[in-house]
Amino acid sequence: MYLKDVYSISPQVTHTDEFINGNYKIYSKNILSVIEPSYSEMIPASLLRRMGKAVRMGIGAALPLIERHEKLNGIVIGTANGGLENCINFLNQIIEYDEGVLTPTHFVQSTPNALAGQLALMSKNTGYNVTHVNGPLAFENAILDAMMFLEGATNKTALLLGAVEEISNYNYNIDLIAGRYKSDYIDNNKLITSQTKGSICGEGSTMFIVSNDANNALAKLINLKQINYPNEIDLEYLLNQFLFENDLKTEDIDLLILGNNGDVQFDSWYTLLKSFFSSKKEYVYYKNFVGEYRTSSAFALYFATQLLKGRIHHKGIEGDVSSIPKIILIYNQFEGIHHSFILVQSVV
Amino acid sequence: MQKVFITGMGAISSIGSTVDEHLNSLRSGKCGIQTAKYFQSKYAQNLVFGEVPFSDEQLRQRNNVASKKDFTRTTVLALNAFNEAIIQAGISLEVLKSDKTAFISSSTVGGMCYTDELYSDANLKDIPSNYARSYEGSDHTWRITEMFEIGGIVDTINTACSSSANAIYLGARLIQTGRADRVVVGGADSIAKYTVNGFNSLMILSDQACRPFDENRNGLSLGEGAAYLVLESEDAARNKFKIAELNGFGNSNDAFHPSTISENAIGPILSMELALQMTGITPDLIDYINAHGTGTLNNDLTETLALNTVFENVPPYNSTKSYTGHTLAAAGSLESILAILSLNNDELYQSLRCESPINTHQSRPIFEFVKKNLNYVMSNSFGFGGNCTSLIFSKCI
Repeated sequence: MYLKDVYSISPQVTHTDEFINGNYKIYSKNILSVIEPSYSEMIPASLLRRMGKAVRMGIGAALPLIERHEKLNGIVIGTANGGLENCINFLNQIIEYDEGVLTPTHFVQSTPNALAGQLALMSKNTGYNVTHVNGPLAFENAILDAMMFLEGATNKTALLLGAVEEISNYNYNIDLIAGRYKSDYIDNNKLITSQTKGSICGEGSTMFIVSNDANNALAKLINLKQINYPNEIDLEYLLNQFLFENDLKTEDIDLLILGNNGDVQFDSWYTLLKSFFSSKKEYVYYKNFVGEYRTSSAFALYFATQLLKGRIHHKGIEGDVSSIPKIILIYNQFEGIHHSFILVQSVV
Repeated sequence: MQKVFITGMGAISSIGSTVDEHLNSLRSGKCGIQTAKYFQSKYAQNLVFGEVPFSDEQLRQRNNVASKKDFTRTTVLALNAFNEAIIQAGISLEVLKSDKTAFISSSTVGGMCYTDELYSDANLKDIPSNYARSYEGSDHTWRITEMFEIGGIVDTINTACSSSANAIYLGARLIQTGRADRVVVGGADSIAKYTVNGFNSLMILSDQACRPFDENRNGLSLGEGAAYLVLESEDAARNKFKIAELNGFGNSNDAFHPSTISENAIGPILSMELALQMTGITPDLIDYINAHGTGTLNNDLTETLALNTVFENVPPYNSTKSYTGHTLAAAGSLESILAILSLNNDELYQSLRCESPINTHQSRPIFEFVKKNLNYVMSNSFGFGGNCTSLIFSKCI
């Protein structure tokens, strides 16, 4: 499957070349909110006012792609939680008005498939339409769905594939009491080396156009794998098996993109993974730019496409990328429970 | 491409806690929609619901998870149906651990079924509840995955009311593309203040048991439940009893409105046509349709038009939501199981409470129990966000 185009809205300025050019935003708080482009030219004001943040940024990231690529055959979205702010606003009304007369706007906007539905509506796309909500693997499942849809399809078949996750005070609170965020404030550029429990919270929407057509593609997505509830002693075997299935060895990987989020309880998984590669293997992080959220691997994939194109000469916290990589392995895990490998290759 | 067979089924809803109990209820025309016993809400007294007749505690006990205080009602409903399905298919715990065994579930309300606890936790009103780590839509999927150590691909879908129909579709794709040998597919939802108030705010809840396809219908009745099917490849199912074959599926979007279906039924027509195309049969070979049939003014009128557009002679159809209420994410898999019960027993069950049918077309839902030889059946699921899915099953006996 080829990644033909990408648009990312994130806590960095990714909707222009600012991030690519090395201008990184430093935040001194534990909630990294997205920097949004102006939507006024693409979304009618009346519609925009009613949109929750998740739907808004999802549409904001998707519409430029939909304009550049006509006749898409469908829309596949991954989001763990969809429009949570609308969801809990509606919930608050239920409780505070004691199940009184409520307006349906929040309810309709809160369903996780509202984005894929709204995108279909705005682009008059009656094609394939699925929303995956599988927690920390929601975007990985969306990728797999798109890959299966394209297997056996013509080169002209193309899908919009993407992810969205929003921060609201509510989901921040829920994850906070679940022990997932740091209790002290840290700068995001010190996230990886923070050595404390929990991470910082991010959000974002990244959208791709995918097809079987290699022409002018940004990158080839070779394959992906999900792993759940593994033992640490199995990780090496699982990695080698995955690489073997794709005719690759550890030495074929030029660069690792690692999902370290500064949570001292779980970052040892990344150290473990790195130990299976040569000690000279180059690696970069990405959650120092965008924080932790369930579908952050969509940002990692955007990051990979830019690295493969040589558009970013990233100076990571520990290492640089010395040459333009040809094959990247993205490794992300959530609380040691859910893990994913994504293999991406440059297109000559 | 591998054929996809159904080798196990499990279901729990207001009309039964096993597939056999569902069959008995369908045969005897027993409706599960009534005043709620366990659901706590202002609406519990003046609306009717298809409530599963067990408390959360009873459901936990029935499923041997009494100690799991963080298991939500959605999770234990799912567990109940999951267990029945894997036992019927003879899937051992060892086989569940195989990386060729996948699990695709779905839910709309998911772990948000405890609205008051979620309110408290999200607004930091009190000490964290038992459910602080249980609210996500995928929570029930991961609890079951962890319990059974499922080794293959795991996914959770939310396409509103067509969610578990898409779980079936995606499970079949995993088998067809060789990524899994067997997949447990389905969905679960429980009655919650969240959905009751949501549908009420849209003014599409009926004050009495829903009357799908009746001229005087005035909305849907919310139900709850869970339903799972075990799909297996031809090779994996070789020496097993095959309940039915999944022949075709179609997924489309109506691209019309966030919460209603287009008057000209674009999405429903397309999903049915795609399913027929994939099955490779002409419409006249469909012997029965389990309609989406929610009982809302909008759905039933549009679906009637869609049926009359796709089929020159509309085959017998009913809405089994007239028995179970609308079980949301569970509806697609529950109704697929009910359609397969019709198929394998050569029986058509009455669509309840349709006294004066919609008269825009000649077609009428099934009005009495009849025996009829059935070979191909279709199940329709349409949801908010324009998500439409149709599935076609055929007999293996």
